[in-house]
Amino acid sequence: MDWRLWRRKQRETDLRDEIAHDLALEAEERMRAGESAQEAEQASRRDFGNVLLVKEDIREMWVLTSLDRLVQDVRYGWRTLRKNALFTTMAALTLALGIGANTAIYSVLDAIMIRALPVQNPGELVILNWASAREPLVMDSHTGAEYNEPDGRRTSPDFPWPAYELLRDHNNAFASLFAHQDLGQLNISARDQAEIGRVELVSGNFFSGLGIVPAAGRLVDENDNRGSGSQVAVLSYSYWHSRFAADPAAVGQTIRINSLPFTVVGVAPPEFFGVKAGRAPVLYVPMMNRPSLARNYGNEHDTMFINPRFYWVSIMGRLRPGVTLARAQTEVAARFRQFALASAANDAERAVLPELWLQEGGSGVDSLRRQYSKPLFVLMTMVALILAVACANIANLLLARAASRRREIAVRLSLGATRLRMMRQLLTESILLALPGGVLGLCIAIAGIRFLTWLLAGASDDFSLRVQLDWPALAFTLAVSLATGIVFGLAPALEATRMNITPALKEVRSSSARKRGSPIGLTQILVVSQIAFSLLFVLGAAFFVRTLANLRSVAIGFNQDHLLTFRVDASQAGYKGAELSALYARMEQRFQGLPGVRAATLSDVLLVSGSNHDTSVYLPGVPKHKGRGGPSTSYAEVGPTFFETMQIPIRLGRAIGSTDVSGAPIAAVVNELFAARYFPNRNPIGQRFRMGNSEAGDLTIVGVAKNARYSSLKGVIPPVVYISYLQDIIKRPPIGMYFELRAAGDPLALATSVRKVVSDTAPRVPLTNIRTHSQSIETTIMQERTFADLCSAFAMLALIIACVGLYGAMAYAVSRRTNEIGIRIALGAERPRILWMVLREVLALSAAGIGLGLAAAWGAMSGIASFLFGVKPADPLTIALATGVLLGAVVLAAYAPAARAARVDPITALRQE
Amino acid sequence: MPARLVNHESADENRIELLQGTLDMLILRTLQFGPQHGHGVGQAIRQSSDDLLKIERGSLYPALHRLEARGLISSEWKSSDLNRRAKYYRLTPDGRKQFAAEQSKWNLLVRAIRRVMRPA
Repeated sequence: MDWRLWRRKQRETDLRDEIAHDLALEAEERMRAGESAQEAEQASRRDFGNVLLVKEDIREMWVLTSLDRLVQDVRYGWRTLRKNALFTTMAALTLALGIGANTAIYSVLDAIMIRALPVQNPGELVILNWASAREPLVMDSHTGAEYNEPDGRRTSPDFPWPAYELLRDHNNAFASLFAHQDLGQLNISARDQAEIGRVELVSGNFFSGLGIVPAAGRLVDENDNRGSGSQVAVLSYSYWHSRFAADPAAVGQTIRINSLPFTVVGVAPPEFFGVKAGRAPVLYVPMMNRPSLARNYGNEHDTMFINPRFYWVSIMGRLRPGVTLARAQTEVAARFRQFALASAANDAERAVLPELWLQEGGSGVDSLRRQYSKPLFVLMTMVALILAVACANIANLLLARAASRRREIAVRLSLGATRLRMMRQLLTESILLALPGGVLGLCIAIAGIRFLTWLLAGASDDFSLRVQLDWPALAFTLAVSLATGIVFGLAPALEATRMNITPALKEVRSSSARKRGSPIGLTQILVVSQIAFSLLFVLGAAFFVRTLANLRSVAIGFNQDHLLTFRVDASQAGYKGAELSALYARMEQRFQGLPGVRAATLSDVLLVSGSNHDTSVYLPGVPKHKGRGGPSTSYAEVGPTFFETMQIPIRLGRAIGSTDVSGAPIAAVVNELFAARYFPNRNPIGQRFRMGNSEAGDLTIVGVAKNARYSSLKGVIPPVVYISYLQDIIKRPPIGMYFELRAAGDPLALATSVRKVVSDTAPRVPLTNIRTHSQSIETTIMQERTFADLCSAFAMLALIIACVGLYGAMAYAVSRRTNEIGIRIALGAERPRILWMVLREVLALSAAGIGLGLAAAWGAMSGIASFLFGVKPADPLTIALATGVLLGAVVLAAYAPAARAARVDPITALRQE
Repeated sequence: MPARLVNHESADENRIELLQGTLDMLILRTLQFGPQHGHGVGQAIRQSSDDLLKIERGSLYPALHRLEARGLISSEWKSSDLNRRAKYYRLTPDGRKQFAAEQSKWNLLVRAIRRVMRPA
């Protein structure tokens, strides 16, 4: 039965029994006094009056005390909030921003760092890594990722294939040990449509080990990985949807990866996006297809499955039930150590062996985590601070309001309201306030998630992070802000209701808000902390904005204006060797002839795009340096008009030209740094040297180019060698080239004609990354830009919030002191003095806040130092600027109340009470 | 709702209206001596006023329920002396405080009125 109905019934019977009891007692007394039973009973009823009417009176009271009271509270609360529209708007907005921003950031963090893979028992999954103090010498070559840990070790998740086979076949710890490798973006064509998509190589037990069930057809299994592997592919669910319209008949069709035919055998389930956050594959193909799909460096293709010194395959495992991570690690680490030891050829190699270690793999592989965890942590801290500022502000607003409502509360108490009733009323108001804040916060959270995903995706074309609104985070932030509202809404209420009513009633509005001698109240503390937090943000914004400005003003050494760049990779369409170079040369000529193109060239490295090619340098007369750490250089293979087009000045000699082709003596143009480092105090022209990956003999320096930025805006410029791509001196398969077109007008307007040229010259050759050079340089400083933008936004927000808080506190203080100020003016105080009196208080608070803020900044700066460029954390100019901005805002916020104080008319003020 | 007092010495129509809240104060005073049921409260007020005041039960019960709703008194069902179940009211801590406040207010009022009436 409904609880309320039951209580109602219970109360009805109680009331009936109570009145019956009274009537009976009265009748008994009358009988004792000598009346007859009948007389007594009648008299008792008569004396009581109308029983029904009395019951009605009482019932009416019940209704008023329960449900109606809530409605009353809500109505009253709503009226109060509407009456103070500014307060309500500010508080709700502050709440919404705090809740929304926190939820959005936390949701993104969750997607990248915490959320488990959508597989069976993700807790059992582990990732295999190795670590070593220096680069292991037993590793001849490595394809994949390598990280420098904070403790100085090098770690990587990539292993030689024979190690994988050994561990897979000899262990007691794993139910399954499976391998995969990200091949990156390949050219995929299906149904006569070519596009670029990520391809993941997987071992036969990859899907079964993860415990994944196909959405259609079957997944890659062990049979696919026998011999040289069957040419089959599993589609990702989203690719199946976009390219095959989720047609079940897709299974059995043929698609082409880099022009090789593969048969579609199945579709992965919709919730599975691979094991790397933000790097969702489009296709999964059997591991044994690696030789035909991956780029071949040297003779890798012949030996990749037997060479114990070639590290490339990533391994994940599922622990047997009951086996701990530590036990599994002890077992496989020992076995891998034996393996590495056996692959070592001498004592030097044996001295630095890679040590295997296991990492929990429930949330997948962590490349994205490494890339974004620190920036996200900085963001998270910023947003948490914003929440703190928001809460402080709400607390402040509520405190000021509660103080101004002391009289109201006292009046209501004296009119018979109970303490409980008053608290309920104030609680209702707090919740009423929090509700719109929460709803608005939800909207901000959703918008914020979109914005952040867009921001993180920024540079990369195939970023596919699935961010969902994190409800626990929303609940948490909502709870925190609600709790703030309740604590600060109720605490003063409690105090107010406990107070002695009479003095509060007598209290005139004009008496001083705080007694002299106890000048530090909660409000003051809150204002000071808000100013301190705001200063942190303003400082942060100033640092990041200056960093960005410094990066943008870096001299790059070439002209980035009106430059259109794009990548063409004809090797993916099957072009090889001389055929490939000839195709690029043909394209270059066609581009040069396009209307609106002033000059066109090509290079294998796009300058200042974050990528680089490095190799060792052998100088004549210097003994060959064995191993790593010897002389090295960065290099770029360029087209004949590269220096002209990029407008890199030649300091000495000549540029790479159209005569530097296959068969001609090998010409090199080096930058000034190269010349100064390797041929100091000599004329570099005519000097000869060799490059580590060249088997074509000596290079002769024909020119020296002015230093230009090579791979990034930050850091030092490396020595650079420019050679002609037409001389075929680098022993590796030719791959994609970047074309650079100097436009007469808007570079992006050339995109259509560029596409036409490519499809005319070589159909099926993919054209990617079309953008202006300035855009691609801009993406390399995306993180700095993000910080500068966000921190500026946050600083503005924090400043506004703090100013609102300060304005509220000062306006309130002034209104409480109207009487005092009136007296002062009446006694002859000049108005500027009054103005100064109020401002002085504000400045004192600000000084305290700024002091605290600077102290906190001192501690926080080491955390962001690595994000700064060209600014020192203790830069006095930046600090002075930030402090100035803050002081300006504070004085602006306090000026209106101060001016109002100065305008007080003594007569009105004194007559007020 | 105004509580009414009946002055038994004079005629029934000689009724005076109490100031608002006075009945509440009398009820709180009575319950200071311990828990009592509604009828008992009425009797106690009559007896302690030497039968000068008789509380109308039609006013008494709404007053009791109002005080309970305000949290100044609480109630429970217990067996009475005559082994009959009755609803007993008792003072809550809030009620005690409220009574103290009302008593001092009352004393002030009485003193003030007495001073005003003295010349007569």
